[in-house]
Amino acid sequence: MRSALLMLLACTLATAVRAYEPAVNYMLQCMGCHTPDGSGEPGRVPSLRDTVLPFARLPAGRRYIVQVPGAAQSTLSDAELAALLNWMIVELGRATPQAFAPFTGTEVAQYRRTPLTDVRSERERLLALTH
Amino acid sequence: MNWLDTLAEASVRSMAQRTSRRSLLASLGALLVGTAALPLLPVARGAEPPQKGAAPNGEADDKAAAKAAALQDPQSCDYWRHCAIDGYLCGCCGGSQHSCPPGTEMSPVTWVGTCHNPADGLDYVVSYNDCCGKSTCGRCLCNRNERDTPIYIPFQSNDYNWCSGSSKGNLAYHCSTARIVGQAR
Amino acid sequence: MGCPHLCTVWASAIAALAASAAMAAAPLPADSLSQVESLPLPPAPHWVWVNDFAFSHMTNGKAMLVDGDSGHFLGELDTGFGAVRIVLSSDGALIYSPETYFSRGTRGTRTDVVTVYDAARLAPVGEIEIPPKRSSNMPMMANALLTDDGRFLLIYNFTPAQSISVVDTRARTFVGEIDTPGCALAYPTGPRAFFSLCADGALLKVRLDDSGRGVGQERTAPLFDVQTDPVTEKAVRRGDTWYFVSYGGTIHSVLIGKDGADLTAGPHWSLTSDSERAQEWRPGGLQQLAVHAGLNRLYAIMHRGGPETHKDPGREVWVYDLDRHARVQKITMQHDSGSILVSRDAKPLLFSIFIESNILDVYDAASGRHLRTVADIGTTPTIMVSP
Repeated sequence: MRSALLMLLACTLATAVRAYEPAVNYMLQCMGCHTPDGSGEPGRVPSLRDTVLPFARLPAGRRYIVQVPGAAQSTLSDAELAALLNWMIVELGRATPQAFAPFTGTEVAQYRRTPLTDVRSERERLLALTH
Repeated sequence: MNWLDTLAEASVRSMAQRTSRRSLLASLGALLVGTAALPLLPVARGAEPPQKGAAPNGEADDKAAAKAAALQDPQSCDYWRHCAIDGYLCGCCGGSQHSCPPGTEMSPVTWVGTCHNPADGLDYVVSYNDCCGKSTCGRCLCNRNERDTPIYIPFQSNDYNWCSGSSKGNLAYHCSTARIVGQAR
Repeated sequence: MGCPHLCTVWASAIAALAASAAMAAAPLPADSLSQVESLPLPPAPHWVWVNDFAFSHMTNGKAMLVDGDSGHFLGELDTGFGAVRIVLSSDGALIYSPETYFSRGTRGTRTDVVTVYDAARLAPVGEIEIPPKRSSNMPMMANALLTDDGRFLLIYNFTPAQSISVVDTRARTFVGEIDTPGCALAYPTGPRAFFSLCADGALLKVRLDDSGRGVGQERTAPLFDVQTDPVTEKAVRRGDTWYFVSYGGTIHSVLIGKDGADLTAGPHWSLTSDSERAQEWRPGGLQQLAVHAGLNRLYAIMHRGGPETHKDPGREVWVYDLDRHARVQKITMQHDSGSILVSRDAKPLLFSIFIESNILDVYDAASGRHLRTVADIGTTPTIMVSP
């Protein structure tokens, strides 16, 4: 009886810590501020919709997408973060998968160690380059 | 589980009573296991196998039934979606778990939780969008902190007044909803 | 029969006449109009300010001053919408209060200010407008703190973009905003330095120039594991050490090096033994830690509960020797305790409040003896400060 209960609870624990699909990771890690469709809030929270695809096409932009604190500091593994970014570019950035080189965990790991501190200037620089 | 109620009902103030019952309810699984390394999703009473040796009696059954009902009652603090809520329940304030009372504005920025629905056995991402622009509702105060993070991890922290993100700059916090965003899988 | 009764009546009548004659000689004088109390300065070490963010009526935030020795209510400041905390100037003569107001109470144009109050008269003597971005959250001490020399006030903003507003209290001007993306709050480490806590467990070190502008930012490596056992925001400082505590009761210390710019991870140690952890003893509350430098003690509100109870109150305060990292005492609290503060003097008091109650309990911090309970202190009292 007690072991059955333990097994039930162990299953629950396993449920609680397993990896989520990218769409769910977006909900848990990003959506709260960047809003469900990624449009954010003008003046307060940057839009992802308009920027993830153009940024993903530039080397500096790819670094930025990984190094921005919300991404770099998240509790996702490098592989999970790569999967999330690829999902965002397609679903929120409305890209076809052929329109960009997908992120891999390896590439994410390269950039992730150095989160940006001057996010504002780098974003402005990239916006000027891409828009 | 009479000892649970006895401990909970020992609190004098109604708000503290809700707090202590919630805490005990959430800790129940951990106490049964004997260790608590990780936070548990709330396990439905209905999902637990019957305990050997527990003599069924009318009072215990009534209380178990009441708790099972509370898990599905949007105006109860024990409602399954409220696992990480902090504030007044919009359902008691002229709104509902997914809508704002008249004359308020739903804040687009918010914190989220992952809660377990005992009715279908699934986990859901729940978004606690605040309704803003009026003074606090003052009815049905509820605070639970399952998987709640400190405020330096904002998106799963219920300690912010998330009305600060509402577009008109409204900051007056009125109440909190509990919207399902999607299944957590 | 007749005479005793009559005699009693006459005796009473004579006594009454005599009394009224005496009274007629010296009536009480009228009290003068406009008598207003003023507080002595510097503030006494056993005074305590209780902040109240008045959750059921948030426009009515307050800070209330109580004399811990007498239990007398000495006065209050009205501190606006969603009040977090007042900040006492280093010399005790002024009080700074980051405040939010709407032009129509709970709607209309939002204005944020730092009000400067005269600490003797408890009346405003100045106001510094700041960006209307002051973070509205469950009050934390690190929402607003002064740099170590008392000159610059650091205020945490959340819109949800994160930044720190810097106010020059000497010039009474707003200096500027320092972006701290991904990091929260401001923990001063020197006259021109502070750090913020980042979402991956790292610290963001920020340096200020002499006019209060940010001149450099640098991240440390993560100091703790945010996934398994994050620290709370509710740190306390003794000298060159900030003490953070995790959900599970591990103390993580941050050591401040020369000039306040160097930060290193100090020792970490647990508030609980293995068996106590197995019984789920853990710290909880809103202002859950206190320190006393002279006694070399750390105080923590403790309760039994699962990991999601890290904000729950407790009925015990456990006391630790900060050199030996060992518990030396347990204080039993009269009521649920959610916030504690220990006064800084040589015979300290321990203050305790709980957000779901409106009493203030006062204890002898050394012996743990309960001294008094003061009633009617606000509606949702949050965190305390003392001189």
